[in-house]
Amino acid sequence: MIDRPRLVALPGHGDRRPDVQFCGHCGRPPAEADIQPASRVCTRCGLGLMVSAPPEAAPSPHDPFLLVDGQLSICGVSRRAEELLLVDETEAVNSHIGDLLVPADAEIAGPESLVNLIVHAARGAGETHHVVLRPAKEFGIRFWARIAPCGPPRAALVVLADGR
Amino acid sequence: MRTLKTSEAAAVLNVSPNTLRAWERRFGYPKPQRTAGKHRLYTHGEVAALRDALQEGLSISSAISRARESLSSDTSTLVGALQAFELDRADAAMEAALALRSVERSVEEVLLPSIREIGERHGFDSAPWAFAARWATDWLQRAQRMAPPPMRPAAVLVGDATRDDLDPDALALKALQLFAVRSGARVLVLPISGVAGLNEVLGAFAPQVVVIAGAYASDDDVARWAYRVRAASGALPMALFRRGSRSDAARTTARNLPESSGEAHRIVLDILDSRPRGVAAPAEEHINQPDDSRQVKAS
Repeated sequence: MIDRPRLVALPGHGDRRPDVQFCGHCGRPPAEADIQPASRVCTRCGLGLMVSAPPEAAPSPHDPFLLVDGQLSICGVSRRAEELLLVDETEAVNSHIGDLLVPADAEIAGPESLVNLIVHAARGAGETHHVVLRPAKEFGIRFWARIAPCGPPRAALVVLADGR
Repeated sequence: MRTLKTSEAAAVLNVSPNTLRAWERRFGYPKPQRTAGKHRLYTHGEVAALRDALQEGLSISSAISRARESLSSDTSTLVGALQAFELDRADAAMEAALALRSVERSVEEVLLPSIREIGERHGFDSAPWAFAARWATDWLQRAQRMAPPPMRPAAVLVGDATRDDLDPDALALKALQLFAVRSGARVLVLPISGVAGLNEVLGAFAPQVVVIAGAYASDDDVARWAYRVRAASGALPMALFRRGSRSDAARTTARNLPESSGEAHRIVLDILDSRPRGVAAPAEEHINQPDDSRQVKAS
């Protein structure tokens, strides 16, 4: 038997499911009979671009979520998040994520801090992380959030949930 | 300037015309002009900037923000040129703006904001402001000379109530004048201070709408001039443009125009279009006669 180097799948990577696509505004997957496959614009609502994320992190159409770039600037706010956070996407875009959401536990620092998680996710690295957030200007409200990479272009997906 | 119909712009962006109209409602971009038949006409530069931004964007909002940023670079170029007192570079910045926009939008989105920024940075009584304002006045006059001859049966009389050419409102007035001339109207600008011989001039010009522009002249001077205009031309619709706090609603029922030259121009055109030919406007649309105001003051 010839003993020579050969390619093998790394543990875990072979099992990884492909990313799923969703609209950055309505959160719905692309229409099956999409007549304009060359366009990233959602043909269902027309108000969002198609973004990909790992299936375990991708939002459902009912989930509020935000898209944040590596400079921590908000790049997209879903329709549900607009309703939940009482902001218009057009006003929130380009503002700092900290203007809208902050960690519920301000004492968390280091690699588990919100900033680090977002920056790492926006680099396309890391797995899905779960954190607890609150609106920047309100106390007493908490969101269970998952943070994961998404794109293109590379960014962090922050999906908010009520913890139920 | 290259323009695109709705279907063409939608094809460039690879979206449906309905989506394009939905973007206009939600984001205000791309912002089309309208043809005489009220059809949308998009500037190719805006659509191309959005197409490029969409490829790199995470949302329509962020792409539009990026497209707007790329277009606003003309403003910073013009401000830079005027602050360096380089007239050729200022002309070139406007040429670049005209490649992406109509004359009206180039003036509204690039020229006027740039000049205002210089005034705010240096003061409206400074030499840099005077330099920039003089250049802008000259540019607007050059643009007006290139306008087509009057095509529509519309004559607009403008009462100039600004201080002088360096009054910030004077540039807005010149922009309004340019827009009206470019839309095919005849425009006559007369100073509020000059009432001698007004009858003869107005007899020849036959205005259909009167706009009083600027906040420098006093209400008494404006009322005196408006009274003479009314005596010479009969009842005419009257509008106030940039009269500021002087436009006292208690003393006048003349229509207040928006601060923006472009929006003011559109309303003036609406007034002209809605005015039945040969029918005088109701008398209450006019500024009170100066004698009336004096009586109020005296009492």
